[in-house]
Amino acid sequence: MAATESAAPAESELDRGGAEDEPRGAEPEEDAGTGQAGPIAAAQQHRLAKLPLSRIKSLMKADPDVSLASQESVFIIAKATELFVEMIAKDALVYAQQGKRKTLQRKDLDNAIEAIDEFAFLEGTLD
Amino acid sequence: MAERPEDLNLPNAVITRIIKEALPDGVNVSKEARKAISQAASIFVLYATSCANNFAMKAKRKTLNAGDVMSAMEEMEFERFLQPLRQALEAYKKGQKGKKEASEQKRKEKKNITDENDKSRDEEEDEHMDDEQEGENEGEEEDVEN
Repeated sequence: MAATESAAPAESELDRGGAEDEPRGAEPEEDAGTGQAGPIAAAQQHRLAKLPLSRIKSLMKADPDVSLASQESVFIIAKATELFVEMIAKDALVYAQQGKRKTLQRKDLDNAIEAIDEFAFLEGTLD
Repeated sequence: MAERPEDLNLPNAVITRIIKEALPDGVNVSKEARKAISQAASIFVLYATSCANNFAMKAKRKTLNAGDVMSAMEEMEFERFLQPLRQALEAYKKGQKGKKEASEQKRKEKKNITDENDKSRDEEEDEHMDDEQEGENEGEEEDVEN
């Protein structure tokens, strides 16, 4: 994920007047921020999280005990979910390989869930 | 629509992409496995949310925040996520800051349009260029008025 280049537009505190006081890091992309940072920042956020924040938020709101959630929290959960997907896929792969297969199958998922503590919360939940 | 929370699935295409990028080339994923992973992901969101919300409630806050989510990850034994999540959060915050300042700047911009709206923006999307052109036009109009 190209999160690094996103740093530039944030430094839009630089005035048009010219004096770019703080060349942030290696990217003297001063004028970055002005106006353009809108679509850019939005695009960057889309690059930062692959999963749609709106969908994540809907899921979160499904919990009756949840009243409000900050944007950051929605983002972090989205990101954590991505990491979770990566993790479970890799862990399940181990079982496929044990079975000398190159195709991940449902049973590999089931095995991973049963064997790995972190996935205990999934037991009995999948169709 | 009173759907069960589990019915709020995450987009298949994105889930598939994440899976593919995590696995070595040449490995395939059956449709059933993909579907199960997608379901698991939704459940993960629900579980993480519930966990995080507990922390918020303990702190007597009504708004779930990023810190609550981090605490939840620890509680759920996903400490390995903490480091990458912190990094992602930093980048996200910067992006958010840029957005806010940008809309303020834009207002100022409309008064002070200069041609400096550089073409050196070429590294970024074309949207950039489009906005610049719009900005310049608006600027010109104002100059005329003045």
